[in-house]
Amino acid sequence: MKELELYFGPQHLGMVGNFSITLKVEGDRILEATSNPGYLHRGFEKLMEYRTWIQNFPLVCRINVVEPDHMEMVYAMAVEKLANIEVPERAHWIRSIYLELARVGSHLFGLWAYSNMLGFDTVAQWAMYHRDLILDLFEELTGGRVYHIYIWPGGVRRDFPDGFADKIVKTLHSIGKCVPDYDDTFFNNPLFYERAHDIGKITQEEAKEWGGVGQVLRATGVPYDIRKVEPYAAYDKVDFKIPTRKEGDAYSRVWVIRDELIESVYLIFKLLDKLPLGKVYNRVPNPFKWKVPKGEAYVRVESSRGELGLYMVSNGEDKPYRVHFRTPSYPHGLTILEKVLKGASIADVGNTMISLYVTAPEIDR
Amino acid sequence: MNKKLAEELELIFKDIEVSTPEDTMMEVRAHKEQVLTILGFLKDKGYNHLALISCVDWIEKAEFELVYILTPYLQNYEAYKEIGDIHLKIRIPRENPETGTVIPIFANAEPYEREIHELFGIKFAGHPRLTHLLLERDYAIPPFRKDFDTREYVKDVFDSIPPIKGEKK
Amino acid sequence: MDKKPKNLRPLKAIRYLFKKPKTLRYPFELKEPAERYRGLHLNDWDKCTGCGNCADICPNVAIEMKEIAEIEPEKGEKNERPEIDYGRCCFCGLCVDICPTGSLRLSRDYLHIHFDPNTFSLLAKDEKTDKEHFLPEEEYSIFKASLAHRKENYEGFAPDLIYALFDPERIPMSQIPPEERKTSFIEQVKGFNQKEATREASRCLECKLCEDACPAGMDIVDYIRNIWDDNLEGAARDIYKTNPLPEICGRVCTHNCESACALGYQGEPVSIRWLKRYAVDSIPLEKYQKVLGTEEIKSIGKKVAIVGSGPGGLAAAYYLKLMGYEATIFEKLPKAGGMIRYGIPEYRLPYEALDKDIEYIKSTGVEIKCNTTIGEDITLKDLKNEYDAVFISTGLHLGKSTGVPGTDHPDVFQAIEQLRKVTMGKEIKVTDKIVVIGGGDVAMDISRTLVRLQLQEFGVVDITVSCLETRDIMPATPEEIEEALEEGIDIYPGWGPEEIIIKDDKITGVVMKKCLRVFDEEGRFNPEFDAQEKMELKGSMVVEAIGQVPDFTFLPEEIKKGLEYEGRRIKINEYGQTSTPWLFLGGDLARGPDVINAIDTGHKAAKGIDRFISKNE
Repeated sequence: MKELELYFGPQHLGMVGNFSITLKVEGDRILEATSNPGYLHRGFEKLMEYRTWIQNFPLVCRINVVEPDHMEMVYAMAVEKLANIEVPERAHWIRSIYLELARVGSHLFGLWAYSNMLGFDTVAQWAMYHRDLILDLFEELTGGRVYHIYIWPGGVRRDFPDGFADKIVKTLHSIGKCVPDYDDTFFNNPLFYERAHDIGKITQEEAKEWGGVGQVLRATGVPYDIRKVEPYAAYDKVDFKIPTRKEGDAYSRVWVIRDELIESVYLIFKLLDKLPLGKVYNRVPNPFKWKVPKGEAYVRVESSRGELGLYMVSNGEDKPYRVHFRTPSYPHGLTILEKVLKGASIADVGNTMISLYVTAPEIDR
Repeated sequence: MNKKLAEELELIFKDIEVSTPEDTMMEVRAHKEQVLTILGFLKDKGYNHLALISCVDWIEKAEFELVYILTPYLQNYEAYKEIGDIHLKIRIPRENPETGTVIPIFANAEPYEREIHELFGIKFAGHPRLTHLLLERDYAIPPFRKDFDTREYVKDVFDSIPPIKGEKK
Repeated sequence: MDKKPKNLRPLKAIRYLFKKPKTLRYPFELKEPAERYRGLHLNDWDKCTGCGNCADICPNVAIEMKEIAEIEPEKGEKNERPEIDYGRCCFCGLCVDICPTGSLRLSRDYLHIHFDPNTFSLLAKDEKTDKEHFLPEEEYSIFKASLAHRKENYEGFAPDLIYALFDPERIPMSQIPPEERKTSFIEQVKGFNQKEATREASRCLECKLCEDACPAGMDIVDYIRNIWDDNLEGAARDIYKTNPLPEICGRVCTHNCESACALGYQGEPVSIRWLKRYAVDSIPLEKYQKVLGTEEIKSIGKKVAIVGSGPGGLAAAYYLKLMGYEATIFEKLPKAGGMIRYGIPEYRLPYEALDKDIEYIKSTGVEIKCNTTIGEDITLKDLKNEYDAVFISTGLHLGKSTGVPGTDHPDVFQAIEQLRKVTMGKEIKVTDKIVVIGGGDVAMDISRTLVRLQLQEFGVVDITVSCLETRDIMPATPEEIEEALEEGIDIYPGWGPEEIIIKDDKITGVVMKKCLRVFDEEGRFNPEFDAQEKMELKGSMVVEAIGQVPDFTFLPEEIKKGLEYEGRRIKINEYGQTSTPWLFLGGDLARGPDVINAIDTGHKAAKGIDRFISKNE
């Protein structure tokens, strides 16, 4: 059979986001796959070297469109570590609640992407609708729907508005009520099983060897989660489970996402229960006269896609000297994707990619 | 923190500096020839996850600093507290910068090295494909180097585009 | 787990077919934004000072300060207002959090529909200033939105001091408590240490409103930045560019800068005065010439005579000296300094600080001849013949009297004379019950001086101060009033004297009448009293401190004839030059009265004298 080169994406129904894969195929078997990022490269890390510590804060969230919140968090954490800023206790808890809401929103978005790609349009619409409810919460809390610009060095930008905790609970209950519907129509649907099991399968050893984190690793049975390994915000003060599965294929990865979503909802309830009172912001120095001491910091959080890190260097000036984001989509989209696509069929490319939870803006930055 | 490991490292590898700037972070400064063996050694010692390879352009010292950040796959804070992270750092001159690849030890180093090659112009000997990753063309100065001025570049490139006819300036 | 599920349950989703959809029917149904929504900007033009901090913080350079011709800015404000380019704005709201006045907010409006892309740069306004474009909710529609109309009362993301990016609170200045300080003339304010000064300097937003407000136009932002950087020598150089008496100004300046400081609108202004003091206090006198580069000044062989060694004369002499002129100051009193030495009590301005500034000026080669009275020891005519130009800043050293019945009694004193006597080490009369008339800084100075003397003599304080103005418009600086009250002085604002009661040749009190207004509709001093409402302030001695006037007796008649007058003041141009070209005027005679205005007139006159001598203008 003749060997062909095939361009998959960036304009493709099975492709979410500005990303493409160049496939070398024979028939519908893939001989070689090459990830092609760069469509969204905006040079954020370089731009940040030109902006002051505070001016960077509205910028970082824009790196990842799907979940800007964890980006804000790593940035704030890195600056706090370098400048030795203390964060009030309540701010830690609000950050955790906020980040878990972000995880719920992001997973719903991921669910939309995955089910939409598989042709489960109904489920996709539900997920999108429910994500919108989460965005409403963000709007109420922060004033923005997509880019919240909320976690900043020193704490959070505003306290909860009146009655906000009840609104979170109400919204999450209304989403929770629909979980059986999701299960019946999607997760327990034989069509989903047929389409997803054994797709993009990797073993635990491979996942570790290739630098997998997040769902990719957890779906192979390793409960690796930064919230447990190096707890930040208020994650060490509440108890929660890390869902895992053994199989390491697309089916189990999507199931891990589902379980995590539900675990996050429970986690938010627990956090809300124990939310302490107090102030939420320790004032940072005047933005026009703020020099962060010399030094470097590597901080990391568990974003909804896995280990998200930030390596930051300050040379004692009013702007960062070097900023480098370590995003989970890097190993997933550039290393693992290329490896697992070898030998797969063309029909499974989108399936594999989205189940690896690859997000293009994270890679491009 | 892993005191024993620090002593062991200094014993095995000549001419390296080991320090612990944070409770859960060990910093190892080495020479570029040692990177592969040190990483191999550390991987066997349980530092089995390469989180990031970063590069800093210390233009005043005419050096690039490559930072290999190892964050082991652990499952809880108790275990993490014991062994922590390792930042392995090497410095290479800015003139014709070159160092060896670490793909044989960590497969996920591939895109990181590609990115650094593209954005800083550092060559990684033994890397299978040092092609473009994020950018679409070469630049006279690799764009993440400190002497590449983004604002100058924007001015040079975009100010030279003639305005659309009838558009208000 | 890995079991292939089999059932027909997915069909359950069909029931949603018969439910009402949950999505909005846009644009027939608009989404109501949240209360904190970050939408298009609102700006209260009355509150906005045009400081431009919003433009400085904007990460996208989306804000440009536009000059508005209709706005007439007050002193320390600009007639610029922010214009936002919505092609760049990212709605982060940093501009709201940095706005020191709280005038800039975000509305919940997010609709701007227009075919012309040039309309996407909007001057932020709100309904108070722009009734035309802000509509009540019932009149608003998508159609109106396309005509650049917005909803009225649609507040969104609002500023909040707790989360502001600037620090509204000052670093507290350590001061000697009232109980301790009122027993002696020790300096009350201790001054900043390095840590406090750096932190206080770090509060400055660098908007330069203060520089517009400063009569001398000092480079405040530059020296505060240098203090923050711990570069005190650089700060001193910045200060000496426009002010050769920083030790003095760092203590007793009327700090118009602080009144203009943008941070003062919602919080406390930067302690500019104390910072200046800190910078120069930290440099020893011996290093001054080296730091300021005045070790060698080349003479150009021209001579200027300066009459009066107050801040005006000292400033003129210093800047003339820097330009190479030989400056000689003639002073009537035994020591140099004028009103700042003989008018300001020691607890506010210790003599060492004063001497440090004067010694430095002397070290550059300025000659000061004390105990030399013009008209007696040397005449103005001699000066004219011997020197190339003459600068007069003799100040306001004669006290004014209220002139009410009884003021000719020997126990009625003029504050300014009493203060001079204290400085000269002479004894002044102090009784156990004193009434002071006047509400300005001099009144506070004399009362607080008398507090100290009364305590030393009688062990108790009994001083009452009364003035025409009500408390809110009292001319004394608020801190002075506050500190006077702390030291046990009773203040009765809003009362004017009618008569001094004298029984058996002794003063027993002052009859006061209620003052209804001080200034008339045209803003002129024209007090009106309520003859019905009266009270009596008891006291056995009265001090008047209602203002000072100049003493021009040394001016010969022929020179007086050659001058033009504007009202009661001698007419001068911007350089202090009178109608007699070789004669320049400055200090309190020209503007003020206060130190910083005097310094500025001295500095300007130095430039004018240079202009006159070198170009004969």
